[in-house]
Amino acid sequence: MSLPGRLELEARPLVRAALTTLGLAGLVALGSRGGRWLDPALLGYLVACLFACFGVAYRYWAWIERPATRMYFGHTMRTLRSRKAVAALGRMALLGLDQLVLQRFIEKRSLKRWGAHALLAWGCLLAFAVTFPLVFGWVRFTTAGADATRYQAWFFGFPAGSFPLDSVAAFLTFHMLDWAALMVIAGCLLAFIRRRQDEGDFATQRFDLDLAPLLLLIAVSVTGLLLTVSISFMQGRNYGTLAFIHELTVILLLLSLPFGKLFHIVQRPAQLGVSLYKAEGEAEGRVPCRGCGEPFIRANQLRDLKALYATLDLGAAVHGSRTHHLELCPRCKRRLLAKAQWQRMGGAFDPFADLPEWAAPIDDPQTLRS
Amino acid sequence: MAPESYGIHPEPILAAPGTELPLTNFDEWGFFIDPNRCIGCRSCVAACAECGTHKGRPMIHLDEMDRLHSPQTAPTVCMHCEDPICAQVCPADAIKRSEDGVVHASQKPRCIGCQNCELSCPFGVPIVFSGLEQMLKCDLCYDRTSEGLKPMCATVCPSQALLYAPKAEISRMRTAQPVREFLVGSLVVKTKNALMVPDPEAPLFLDAALLIEGDL
Repeated sequence: MSLPGRLELEARPLVRAALTTLGLAGLVALGSRGGRWLDPALLGYLVACLFACFGVAYRYWAWIERPATRMYFGHTMRTLRSRKAVAALGRMALLGLDQLVLQRFIEKRSLKRWGAHALLAWGCLLAFAVTFPLVFGWVRFTTAGADATRYQAWFFGFPAGSFPLDSVAAFLTFHMLDWAALMVIAGCLLAFIRRRQDEGDFATQRFDLDLAPLLLLIAVSVTGLLLTVSISFMQGRNYGTLAFIHELTVILLLLSLPFGKLFHIVQRPAQLGVSLYKAEGEAEGRVPCRGCGEPFIRANQLRDLKALYATLDLGAAVHGSRTHHLELCPRCKRRLLAKAQWQRMGGAFDPFADLPEWAAPIDDPQTLRS
Repeated sequence: MAPESYGIHPEPILAAPGTELPLTNFDEWGFFIDPNRCIGCRSCVAACAECGTHKGRPMIHLDEMDRLHSPQTAPTVCMHCEDPICAQVCPADAIKRSEDGVVHASQKPRCIGCQNCELSCPFGVPIVFSGLEQMLKCDLCYDRTSEGLKPMCATVCPSQALLYAPKAEISRMRTAQPVREFLVGSLVVKTKNALMVPDPEAPLFLDAALLIEGDL
């Protein structure tokens, strides 16, 4: 059996992941001007990034292939190709501000969770925004011509401003990863404290899924901060060893991206598509429940879920010739379960039914009944 | 007629006051639901809101069956399906069933609040909280049951409509027996939790004709 077969890899996501990685490699070549501006010290990171890109892309495309995911992904793609694209993009931008930038839905879940998550998310994204362009050779710094007191920034090979070496901007820029590390460490510690206090999370958390990513992020951040400590306070002592350890932790983090919890970073934007889908469904209207007559399910979702049921071999969930189980509201489904049980029990609590012997009222001389 | 004839049995597993409660485990203990016994006291609803995995929000449903004609209520908790439809239709792959057979609430980092699970569950159990973009549901009080304690609702239910008991003892405790197989239309759904019926050999047929009069 071939290697992809032995690893149970799917063909289409495999091809798409390979193309995505090739695309990134092409952008690296373009941005670093044929590799001329790649930093040799960061080549290990570059290889790990390309591996991580392949892994994340493979999992993403395999995830999109799932019938339920395709239901929403297909809708978003159709919307973005239609005349509604401009309005949809505007709406997605606003939703993105609320859900991805401010992450207000997490604030509604819990303020503590939001605080920890905001520090973690923004620390990580800030670090990614600095690290990836540097590793890919998209951003670099040189001295500004003959003036050794000024630094010139370059982006994609184009000049992108210069600043004096002793300025506040230089201090903030050069220590950007330190600020990110401090945010990540604070976020991880808050997350650990919250997890220890929350009985629910404490019971359901798993080391590999929930705690290992936090520990890995702390390891990356602390070893990164130690590099600054080595330069600023130890005259560069042990810098080589520390840099090696830091590189190891970062590579481990990058390689874990497709498998671990951090994959949700690329999954979360799907929420924007779902919000669009819901808004479209509301405009189309809700279909009434076949049991109680109350409108409950959006027409587009009923249609798509019926198709999804057929794809998933759940098409047998139909009552009689016309009523799909999806056409019953959740409350009617619960009542149906109880009614079915009562019917099997002989209608014990139906006031108009004959009571079976075991459910008859207790013959109590103290009551009016007797 | 002896009380046992009415299916009312003293619970054999309660420890005497002052002694430690016996610990439970997933393999030997089962959750048995008998809506017939529900007296609508809402103790389960109050207790459920104390569960650590969804603190402050009761996940148990207590529905009035036919308020005009009957005081009857029915409690519904998650039945923990063997092949959960909610997980199959989840686009975010956020619903997982652990090895002990418990289907958990959606994973917080993944859930995108699409409501597929809420609308597809054959028993009408999950609740999607709009704004939180998250599905919550009964997870068999995992913070308690994984530690060997009973679920909150079963602990407080005075009529044993919700009973968490050793599977081996249920046949002695009740006249009715557990069924774990359901027919939704002609789709077979197998579950971890059980409903009590007099004849458990046949699956329980959830026939919409019980709710809908006329042409189905």
